Amino acid sequence: MAQITTHLPNLTRNNLGELNDKDFSVNNIGPDLQHLLRRISSTPADFLDEPKTHSGGNLAVAALVHDTLRQTGYNASVEQLHRFTSGHSEKDHNRLSLVALAIWVLNDDWFKSTLRDADALLSLLDLAMQQLADASTATKYINDSERREEFARFLLARLNYRPAGESITQATDRLSALSSTERNRLLQESREAEARARAIREALAKQAAAESADKWTRE
Amino acid sequence: MKPYFDPERYPTLSEDGARMLKFLREHPQAPIYRNSSGNKLTSDDLNLLADYERKLNNSRVDWNERHLPQWLNTFVDNVYRDVPFYRSQGKPPQFTDIPPVTRADFSRDITAFVPDSVQLDRMINFQTTGTSGNPLLLPSHPRIAATYLCFHRRALRRFGIELSHGPENIGVVLVGHQRRCFTYISVTPQLGESGLAKINLHPDDWASPSDREAYLDALNAEIYTGDPLSLSALKTLPLSTRPKALISVGMMLSQGLKNEFESHFNAPVLDIYSLNESGPVAVFDANINGHLLLQPELYVEILNTEGNPVPPGQRGEITLTGGFNFCLPLLRYRTGDFASLAYSPEGPLLKGLSGRSPVRFRTQAGDWVNNIDITHALKSLPLAQFGLHQEADGSLCLSLAPVSMHYSAASLDALSSVFGNQPITVKSIESEDKIMQYTSNLKEGTLQ
Repeated sequence: MAQITTHLPNLTRNNLGELNDKDFSVNNIGPDLQHLLRRISSTPADFLDEPKTHSGGNLAVAALVHDTLRQTGYNASVEQLHRFTSGHSEKDHNRLSLVALAIWVLNDDWFKSTLRDADALLSLLDLAMQQLADASTATKYINDSERREEFARFLLARLNYRPAGESITQATDRLSALSSTERNRLLQESREAEARARAIREALAKQAAAESADKWTRE
Repeated sequence: MKPYFDPERYPTLSEDGARMLKFLREHPQAPIYRNSSGNKLTSDDLNLLADYERKLNNSRVDWNERHLPQWLNTFVDNVYRDVPFYRSQGKPPQFTDIPPVTRADFSRDITAFVPDSVQLDRMINFQTTGTSGNPLLLPSHPRIAATYLCFHRRALRRFGIELSHGPENIGVVLVGHQRRCFTYISVTPQLGESGLAKINLHPDDWASPSDREAYLDALNAEIYTGDPLSLSALKTLPLSTRPKALISVGMMLSQGLKNEFESHFNAPVLDIYSLNESGPVAVFDANINGHLLLQPELYVEILNTEGNPVPPGQRGEITLTGGFNFCLPLLRYRTGDFASLAYSPEGPLLKGLSGRSPVRFRTQAGDWVNNIDITHALKSLPLAQFGLHQEADGSLCLSLAPVSMHYSAASLDALSSVFGNQPITVKSIESEDKIMQYTSNLKEGTLQ
């Protein structure tokens, strides 16, 4: 399987409007999208259990990752699995829940018979799920129709696939429209930067600021 | 005394300090104080300032033409992490590859240059118009304003002057001479609440013009600060008291005027190169014939038009990195002022400091003379302010401050050493602000 290309454009506040996911590759034809969406909707409750970490939980996400990689003939090391056991924060729990959700989707017959690249899978489960976790919750990716479609398309694109029956352009455009991960992050950053700039302007414009303070010389 | 206790303007004011404020404001000959300000310094600020000054007193400028400042890399990393304008550019490049910025960059969006770590609740501003006339609000903080004194004291010490402590002294009178001027009173907590008055010598601010000398004699300030124009106005008053020193900032001070002030006031005159953006940068010392740099944590480069550093001795634009304004850390900030860099046993210094970009003037014979030659020709005259302009047809016009108009003939005589018998018209400067000292409408007249 081809190596995943996941380079996002170098984004700044200035090119935010141009954000798209064109740097994702969707060169290969994947499974039917509706099938994937139904699978996500019917995620078993077991996969939504509290992930097992140092602070408790039932769902052994690291074991699921290990088993999934084993299907490609790869034995994950303890170090590689560490990322799927550690974490105490709510954000980490969300990330691990998303990993579990991805594994549920990847356990579909189509993926099981197709995926052989352990590195790509590991990258998907680790880095890509972190990206999604930064944007929304596992519950929302299951229950919200747009987020559900985004999750399915995002997962496919990370593995260089597109939904069956779609052209590369159609798949890329649709993902771009749905993709809220980077966009959300950048919009948030942009909003924060604008709020900060506004606060500075207001602070500078205050009467007290204009009164200034004592200097022994005035240039 | 009650009205003088104002926790925002004077957070640490004592009874003695309040008495000083009362004296300054309620003196029978006091001027009309039109504004309010204050030191705005808390006890924590004062502790931090004391620590800063202790450290400063044990530091010196540690860089030279072979070694960059030790603090530079850490400073650049911090700026690229904490300042939005730089953070958006990614990782910091090599120092000399960092694109310089100018006042125009600040004017476009000053907020992008304020570090995210700066708390805004105590932010103050200093308004600057520069010679371009475009006002700009520069972010600052009461502690930054108070830090100026650390460098003034450093400069004064070079001339053997120590300031007195205590609320029985007037530390400084800031002198202005304009139709409209921001005026107020305060006390300086770092000097045991010695008095501070910012006054306007313009007669409109006084009940009677003679109140000026009576009030200033009653104050008997240790230091007067102002630009050459306002210090010239001060010199016309029949004062019976004398300060320990005068500090001239804001405009070029000619050697002739400096000599005249020193003789009149019987006190040294410190010519300090200072910018709102950076605070005091350097103080002139005749013994080394240049402005000695004052801030150990301010790195100065001299850049050519392309933004590349030039070797010592070569003139270029003064460019600053670092500084003590934590609300506006400077990273290769092109000041618009010109000089060359030299090194003395005491540290780096600026030679031939002049404001704004170099201009050259064409003589009738078709030769070109640099603006530095004009400065040299006029340096012995005590001109409070002057400018020289060349029209596109080659005609010359010398502008003089109104108080210096009686030096018209002497000025033309001095300029004849440069321009021969070429006619030069003379006019009085009407503006009360800085002017562009050297300007030319000749296409080849502007060098950079």
